[in-house]
Formats: sequence, C-alpha cells, structure tokens
Amino acid sequence: MAQKRMTFLQKLMSFSGIDPDRLRLRWVSSADASAFVDEISQFTEDLKKMGPNPLKAKEAA
Amino acid sequence: MSTTVKAYVEQLLDEGKIKGFLGLREENGHIMPHLFCSPEDLVHMSLGDNTRPGDARYPLNQLLITLAAKYPDDTFAVLVRGCDERGLKELFKWEQLREEKVIPVGIGCPDELAKACECEKPFPEALIEGPQGQKVDSEKVAHVDGMDLETRLEFWLGEFDRCIKCFGCRNVCPMCFCNECALQEESLVGTGKIPPDNPTFHLTRAVHMVGRCIDCGLCEEACPADIPLRTLYKKVADIVHEAFGYRTGYEPDKKSPFNIIGGL
Amino acid sequence: MEFKSVLTTCPYCGCGCGLLLEVLDGKLVGTLPSKTSRANEGKLCIKGWTVHEFVTNSKRLTQPMVRRNGTLEEASWDEALSLAAGRLAEIKEKYGPDSIAMLTSAKCTNEENYLLQKFCRAAIGTNNIDHCARL
Repeated sequence: MAQKRMTFLQKLMSFSGIDPDRLRLRWVSSADASAFVDEISQFTEDLKKMGPNPLKAKEAA
Repeated sequence: MSTTVKAYVEQLLDEGKIKGFLGLREENGHIMPHLFCSPEDLVHMSLGDNTRPGDARYPLNQLLITLAAKYPDDTFAVLVRGCDERGLKELFKWEQLREEKVIPVGIGCPDELAKACECEKPFPEALIEGPQGQKVDSEKVAHVDGMDLETRLEFWLGEFDRCIKCFGCRNVCPMCFCNECALQEESLVGTGKIPPDNPTFHLTRAVHMVGRCIDCGLCEEACPADIPLRTLYKKVADIVHEAFGYRTGYEPDKKSPFNIIGGL
Repeated sequence: MEFKSVLTTCPYCGCGCGLLLEVLDGKLVGTLPSKTSRANEGKLCIKGWTVHEFVTNSKRLTQPMVRRNGTLEEASWDEALSLAAGRLAEIKEKYGPDSIAMLTSAKCTNEENYLLQKFCRAAIGTNNIDHCARL
C-alpha cells in the first residue's frame, strides 16, 4: 500500500512542480540499525545536493 | 428535447417502480434539484441547460445519498449524465447507495459541453435521450505537462494562492461523503490563514480524489477563484490509470487501488 | 415524502448570493449555490455554504435572555424590552445621548438597518451609529 501511495505521490509531486526525488521509500528492518543510518545519511546528502526546497522560499515570501 | 426522458419517468412513476425521480426543476428562470413524485409535476422538469448546455448541473448523486439514507427501502430514479453514471458505479462500491434501489435516467451531453469538459465519455450506458458523444482529450493537462518543473511549481502556487478556503470544491463534490474530512484536520492542514497551506491543501484534496473523482467538473464551477482544479484531478486520474490500470467509474467489480491493502 | 430546493438569498453580507436550501420532509439538510443566480453564478463563500448549519443549530436563542446576578437567564419579551428601554433611558438621562453607540450588521435587511439608525439618531439623539463591515 505504501509503495502504491509513494508511486502515486511522486508523480503528483512532479506534476505540481516539486522534484519527486525529494521523496524516497526504502524498506529497512528495525533490527538493521546500520542500514537505517546509512540510508538516512545518504538521503540527507542527496537532499543537500538538491538545494533548499523551493516551497521554503515561497513560505518566507 | 426532454420528451423521451419525461415519458420514461412518467412510466416509472405510473408503474410504481420508483417512489420519486431526483432531477432538476425549472421555475421562474431558476434551475434547482427536485424530487418529482407525481407525473403532473414533470411539466417543470429541466435537464440542466440554462443559457448553455449543462451550465445548471448539480450534484444529484450527493442528494440521492441523503435521500436513500432516510428511505433505504425505496427505489428512486436519478438524472445522470456520463459523469454521474461513473459516480454511481463508484458509490455502489463504496456502499453509499444500493444498485437495486437506483434507476439511472441517462442523458448524453452535446459536443459543446463534452469539449468544455474535455470529457472521456460524455454519455451514460443507461442512455435514454441525447447523443453518444465522442471522447475529448485533455489539452489542459498536456499544457502543464509541457512545462518544466520550476514553471509548473510557479504555475500551481500562483493558482492556489487565490484560494479562499470556501470548501466549495469539496462541498459540491458528488463523491465526497466522508463524515470527517482530512482538509479540516488541524494536524494536516493549518487553520486560520488564507490562502490555506500552499500547496498542501490542494494536493491533499488531489490525493483524496484517487479512485473517487469522476470528472464532473462541479468543483471547478463552484470555485470562486477559478482555480483549474479539473486539470489537477484529471492528472490524478491519468496517474492512477498508468500506474495501477484503474479507471474511476468504469469497473463495477474492481475496487480503487487506495482502497485495497496490498497489490500493486 | 418531499425533497425540494428553496431559492433564497444568503443572509450574511451585502453580496446577496443566491443559494438553494435543500429541504427533505420539511427539514433543512444542506445548502447549494444557485447556478442560475447572476450575483454569484454558482459559487459561494464558506459562510454561504454553511447557512443550513446555523439555522438548525441547537445553540440558537429561542427566548430573550436577561443577565441576573451575573448569569444569563431566560426571560419574557416584556421583561427584556422593558429592561433595555429603561436602562437606555437612564443612561441617556445621566450621561447624555452621546454616551450610547449602536452597531448594526450586514445580516440585517436594509429596512432593519434604516430603523436602527433612525432609532439611534431620532430616539436616542446621537450620531454614534456604525456597522460591522467597518470593523
């Protein structure tokens, strides 16, 4: 179900002008702490490269 | 034009097959929803054409739900266009109406209206009167698809900026029947500001249109700010069709993808 | 069994949007904008959309109420009107007419608004009359 929602949401975001890569879905076992940390760290790096969310600027305006 | 519909409904009433016909009434130049319970009353019947075809349409399915809730054992006939019939098919699945208690009285939409609506199927299967119009492809969706990401954001934020949170889109929607609406949930959409959270409010509504929106266009007609809601919801339907192979209002046996846990 | 739409004008502001009250067996069940009314062309603001809610609200006053010892209690029309007239007269006598001000509303009809300003200017004798739209 989550996969369905994510697939849909990414396409809707794209149509609305928000980079779909700002949304990511990953399955990680709660027992696998290191994999979880790696995923989050990687996503944080990738998001930083994308730059601030354009919606933030609009909100401030 | 409405002689065939009138005759059909008269027969249904005379034969006692229905308790009433939920349609439209014209009086003193105004058109409004009405339940016709006797054939004599049908002289006031209207099909929803005021100055242009279909410019006085109302969410009859929504009113039918209220009627059926009070009179669950009675059968009613209801005026339907292509979109309304799509609505009925979904409402039966959502268990808001019972198929055996509803007799659709179908009218087809003329080209002018089909084009204005960019309608996928401007006539119902249960067609009593009117043309079997052609499908019209959406140019408005293609226009936004043709923009780059930044322009699209600029576009949508600009449109949603005019929103006055009147809830007209949701209130008029014949498919919105939730007792508690997500849009009024403070933890999801902030209260006390106009325009409402941009674009959260409208994107939330758009997500809720999955498997629900029948593309009747009443939302856009009710919007005082002329926000191109239909363009957004049409895209939602396209995504759902491409990604899940589901089309709202066509399959009586298939549930909406967001209504089933599991499966892709 | 009766289900009909009653065409009426929204009571909230001066726009005068045409709206339809949906009535099922004599009971108000909903509101719809009138598609054929020229003032609003099938659109309403949130106040117009929720007209049916206040009409049937249980908190609506059914009886005049008078504050006795700090609490609002039900009273008769005679008691309420006598109290209001009496106190206004007292205040006018003691502090002068300009110590009284009146605020009217877009929810009132033009005739009601006219009446109140007439009462304010001629009966009370002050120009302190204003309207909620100016707030």
